[in-house]
Amino acid sequence: MVDAARVAAGINVVLLLGLLRIWIRNYREVPGSILRGLILFAVLLLAENVVALYFYFNAPAMPPLAVEVMMILQVLEAVGIAVLFYTNWQ
Amino acid sequence: MEVVLWQVLAATRGGPNRARILRALDERPRNANRLADDLDLAYNTVRHHLDVLEEHDLVTSGDESYGTVYLPSERTRNHWDTVEDIFTNLRE
Repeated sequence: MVDAARVAAGINVVLLLGLLRIWIRNYREVPGSILRGLILFAVLLLAENVVALYFYFNAPAMPPLAVEVMMILQVLEAVGIAVLFYTNWQ
Repeated sequence: MEVVLWQVLAATRGGPNRARILRALDERPRNANRLADDLDLAYNTVRHHLDVLEEHDLVTSGDESYGTVYLPSERTRNHWDTVEDIFTNLRE
């Protein structure tokens, strides 16, 4: 289960880097507060996922229920970011 | 609507090119072929951008299926100050 959480966090990092690349490139062409907000949002979410990934590789023994819930949260987040990535790629 | 305009014209991967297309259509309505020529973009790229713009009701088109002319939609006109904002920031 911790593997699924690791994969989800890894996917999140990759997708967020892709989104950041689009938004930062566009910000250079068309600066604006909405793009600034999107970039800040992606940076913070990226930091969250990097911390999560680090934690999943260095986690102490935890109750199975906690591991399961964290995996679910991470996978749901990955689905959300994937949807955002898809709409922004068009 | 402001957020939709920023999202479609600035934040997405093809956003800046879509802004250029909308600016060209504001100067003079034209069809996909002319847009591709005038903006030096591939026809398929222009096609895709026009579909996205039309899907979000930012442009409208005539009735003919081939060579149909596009122009900014009523909805876009109603928020033209935001569009101008985006154009002003758009670097060539």
